[in-house]
Amino acid sequence: MAEKKATTKKAPSKKEDTKKVAPVKQEVKKAAAPAAKPKAAPAAAPAAAAAGSTTQQGEARIGVFICHCGTNIAGSMDIPAVEEYAKILPNVAYVDNYKYMCSMPGQAVISKAVKDNHLTGVVVSACSPRLHEPTFRTATKEAGLNPFRFEMANIREQNSWVHMHDREGSTDKAKDAIRIAVAKASLLQDLFPKTVPVEKAAMVVGAGVAGMQAALDLAAAGIKTYLVEADTSIGGRMSQLDKTFPTLDCSQCILTPKMVDVGRASMIELMTWSEVHEVEGYIGNFDVTVRKKARGVITPKEAEARGIVGGGCNGCGDCETACPVVKPNEFEVGMKPRKAIYINHPQVVPLLYTIDFNSCVKCGICVTACGPEKRAIDLESKDEFVKVKVGTVILATGYDIFPIEKKEEWGYKRFENVITSLEFERLICASGPTGGHLIRPSDGETPKRVAFVLCAGSRDNTGTGKPYCSRFCCMYSLKHAHQIIEKIPGCIPYIFYMDIRSFGKMYEEFYYRIQDEGAKFIRGRVANIIEDKKTKNLHVMTDDTLLDRPIDMEVDMVVLAAAVQPKEDTNRTRKLFGVSCSSDGWLLEAHPKLNPCGTTTAGVFLAGVCQGPKDIPDTVASAEGAASAASIPIHMGEVELEPYFATCIEEKCAGCGMCVNLCPYSALALVEKNGRTVMEVTEAKCKGCGTCGGFCPGGAIWMNHFTTPQIVAQIDAFLLGGEQ
Amino acid sequence: MSENGINHKFAFYLGCIAPNRYPGVESASIKAMKKLGVELVPLKGASCCPAPGAFGSIDLAVFYAMAARNLVLAEQMKMDIALVCNGCYKSIWEVNHKLKHNKDLRDAVNEVLKEVDMEYKGTINVYHTAELLYNDKFIGVDKIRDSVTNPLTGARIAVHYGCHLVKPHKDREFEKEVMLNTECPTWMEELVAAIGATPVEYRNKMMCCGAGGGVRGYDIVHALDITNEKLINLMEEKVDALTDICPFCQLQFDRGQIEIQEKFGKTYNLPVLHFAELLGLAQGMSPQELGLDLHGISCEPLLQKVL
Ligand SMILES: Cc1cc2nc3c(=O)[nH]c(=O)nc-3n(C[C@H](O)[C@H](O)[C@H](O)COP(=O)(O)OP(=O)(O)OC[C@H]3O[C@@H](n4cnc5c(N)ncnc54)[C@H](O)[C@@H]3O)c2cc1C
Ligand code: SF4
Ligand code: SF4
Repeated sequence: MAEKKATTKKAPSKKEDTKKVAPVKQEVKKAAAPAAKPKAAPAAAPAAAAAGSTTQQGEARIGVFICHCGTNIAGSMDIPAVEEYAKILPNVAYVDNYKYMCSMPGQAVISKAVKDNHLTGVVVSACSPRLHEPTFRTATKEAGLNPFRFEMANIREQNSWVHMHDREGSTDKAKDAIRIAVAKASLLQDLFPKTVPVEKAAMVVGAGVAGMQAALDLAAAGIKTYLVEADTSIGGRMSQLDKTFPTLDCSQCILTPKMVDVGRASMIELMTWSEVHEVEGYIGNFDVTVRKKARGVITPKEAEARGIVGGGCNGCGDCETACPVVKPNEFEVGMKPRKAIYINHPQVVPLLYTIDFNSCVKCGICVTACGPEKRAIDLESKDEFVKVKVGTVILATGYDIFPIEKKEEWGYKRFENVITSLEFERLICASGPTGGHLIRPSDGETPKRVAFVLCAGSRDNTGTGKPYCSRFCCMYSLKHAHQIIEKIPGCIPYIFYMDIRSFGKMYEEFYYRIQDEGAKFIRGRVANIIEDKKTKNLHVMTDDTLLDRPIDMEVDMVVLAAAVQPKEDTNRTRKLFGVSCSSDGWLLEAHPKLNPCGTTTAGVFLAGVCQGPKDIPDTVASAEGAASAASIPIHMGEVELEPYFATCIEEKCAGCGMCVNLCPYSALALVEKNGRTVMEVTEAKCKGCGTCGGFCPGGAIWMNHFTTPQIVAQIDAFLLGGEQ
Repeated sequence: MSENGINHKFAFYLGCIAPNRYPGVESASIKAMKKLGVELVPLKGASCCPAPGAFGSIDLAVFYAMAARNLVLAEQMKMDIALVCNGCYKSIWEVNHKLKHNKDLRDAVNEVLKEVDMEYKGTINVYHTAELLYNDKFIGVDKIRDSVTNPLTGARIAVHYGCHLVKPHKDREFEKEVMLNTECPTWMEELVAAIGATPVEYRNKMMCCGAGGGVRGYDIVHALDITNEKLINLMEEKVDALTDICPFCQLQFDRGQIEIQEKFGKTYNLPVLHFAELLGLAQGMSPQELGLDLHGISCEPLLQKVL
């Protein structure tokens, strides 16, 4: 049925529509006429076009190479029919097919054909250009042609895979695709990529374990690295953790050496309490303006620069003792107070106090406490803007905890004894607000029954939570279970779970260990938590899906393994660098499997959780990957830019400047030339998106590789056929 | 303000249980809302909503078509629907919403409606009267407070929200954001406070009444067991009455207490009133006018406290 439909629809449309299409043809031709000029008069077009003056239609000799892709393509269409059809297309001088065009023998077929038949252009009809355009471009180059004399017709992703059961239809569609590609290939020109030098410096944004590791690696590779951290100290979430699964080593103990290394490394310029303000430029040459937020406290170095010998903050903390303003300490998830002048915790790097100017009353008591020798406090300090030039950038902005109070049924922020896992980490940590004693917030009692609610807000399709798995909560909840069994004799952890995802090295073993230690596992999503008003105990209501019975379990405390989400400021920061995000907000990698650290913006890379939830081992691995990827262009010394930029045909440009405002990459400007105002393109900034070219009312913008004549020829070929 | 102080008119969809078991809900709604500037015009010829559990789980096509027919009657009156029952809300609001957004379903339903020369067009909205009372676009808490002549001072009143009005969360689109709180809503308590009574929180407030989803019809003992648990939680707080916004929940709590006494031998004697009835009392309507004598459990103890 479906087969018939596709073909019967097609047949009449071809014949009948010729009449209807006729007027369109004229219009198209008209539109094409003026734009066709620069092609004939290449002087107006860029130098690259000048070299391509052999693109006159009559002289073009195109080779068409049809790939079977095993049975991926050949299984769904009539390859011999497609081949016969390709032979009758204008300018086609050679047609061949092969089982796997991308294989070495396949590429050899192209090479030989180009030489033997003096081809001027190559069309490979195969998969998506996203996959193999680079492969065939290289093959074209090796055959002796300019690599941009290559065009790809996608007959797999957009054809055989979607029309698997419509043989006739997909055969016809492949013919269309090839006809269009040949039309373009006949007009292709030689293009020559530009190279630009790469600044021998990098920037890492975010100094959690990911950013720190990336910066250390870059520095070790001899690259000057600016490490920009929004908080007052480096370390990120890992510095808030007590122990780390599955080895249970103390988080601070393994992290502080790294923090100290970062503080010491001469190749790392640490900028804490700072954020990226503005970004200009492109791979190799990013001009980044960093806003150093007013800190109110100066370093010994800064003191020296101000002529205060032996001054600056030495971390003594006298100011903190004196300050009268008390605020909740965010590092302790609000469970401990801090002053308006504060450090997060004793091991901070850099050991430098910060004034929270939103709370400071400017009483000046700290200035006195600090004393006339150090003179480290400057209550009038202002934001500073520092401009640096870097070749590549790594984003490592990490995560936040999902506001789990939105899942109202679990009562977080309504019931005192419902806490999050991050709060648990601080409560169980010896340096935390309770000195490592897990207590009930309601009465300070030690709990004997603790429920852990897994997937709290993760794997949630209700629209309130997050659809993805947060990936480390199963494992850290097992760790938490172990910690309470170890620390509180007789205390039983009850773990309410959907599945336990213990996928990493030694993780499954850790899971068994916790089972053996006596943790209780109940498979069921927690429907509801109810507080007993008198005792402040909690009733955890669920369905035990293994025993098939409803559960109402009374516990002393509930720990919600809350989902994670991208850090608050991520969206603003990513936009500055032109990086996309997926629908869930995590930063988007260039390819989920084959390029997980890269982004679609050349020169910008991703490390750690900002790309998606990862535990520490995966975070560090991704950071090292990103550092390696970010160092490649720097070590190469120069990078090649795709030659797809726009050019201005100055005689036609009226200097209206509309395109300048439209360009999303600020690549265009108006300049004076020979007494006229014309537009000028900064080629390195232009991404070839074509926004300006499509708009220019005078047709004065020439988009390399997507020229108006090429596009019109493609449309003509599609609408009018053009078989010989 | 337009004629006679009436600002809004709605097609009043009564449903089945209110007119048959608690006629007071009907008269209280009409009279009390009128004082608040809202006229409820009877939706003539309406059928059962139909009950979401009973019909929805057996034949969806019938379910959609019947609900659509009720909607078309209101479309013909060119009025939005107002109704007093959570079950009706689930059926009629949800079907309206689905038909507005799903063309295939709309076409299928219209195919059926053709047989009775009707066509669903999607021109009206559906509201629960509780929503009209709470949303100041229509009435609002302040206006209710101003309309009270006989404040129910001293009465400790707990609220049963019922399930179908507020759940499922992802399918609800109330204009007032607090009404989207499914797990611990408190907007009804604001209404209770507005008529002078003391709203009382109790354990597991959002638990089902026990009747919904066909449970009452299918397994009465199970249904009553749930109701019983709610009653125990309510009695712990020494409440004088329970108020609801759904005649079906009301039936379960009111008649259910008699059944609980028969089956489990437990007596609570907790008066159960639809919020419309309470509002009527606070606006000075007499217990007879409100048909309170038709309740299974006597409202006398409450009345003695507030009258
Ligand atoms: C309760 C809990 C327990 C855990 N336990 C374990 C465990 O036992 N083992 C384990 O392997 N993993 C554990 N994890 C996971 C672990 O925390 C993460 O894998 C790790 O912290 C990720 O590091 P990161 O550098 O990618 O992100 P983060 O630690 O979030 O660091 C990001 C850094 O970037 C900064 N930043 C953010 N945005 C900007 C910006 N726009 N500009 C400048 N700076 C910015 C932040 O201030 C922060 O310092 C746990 C997580 C939680 C929540
Ligand atoms: S000036 Fe600000 S930081 Fe210093 S002591 Fe006073 S309140 Fe604290
Ligand atoms: S890691 Fe475990 S608890 Fe966390 S979301 Fe995934 S499955 Fe749920």
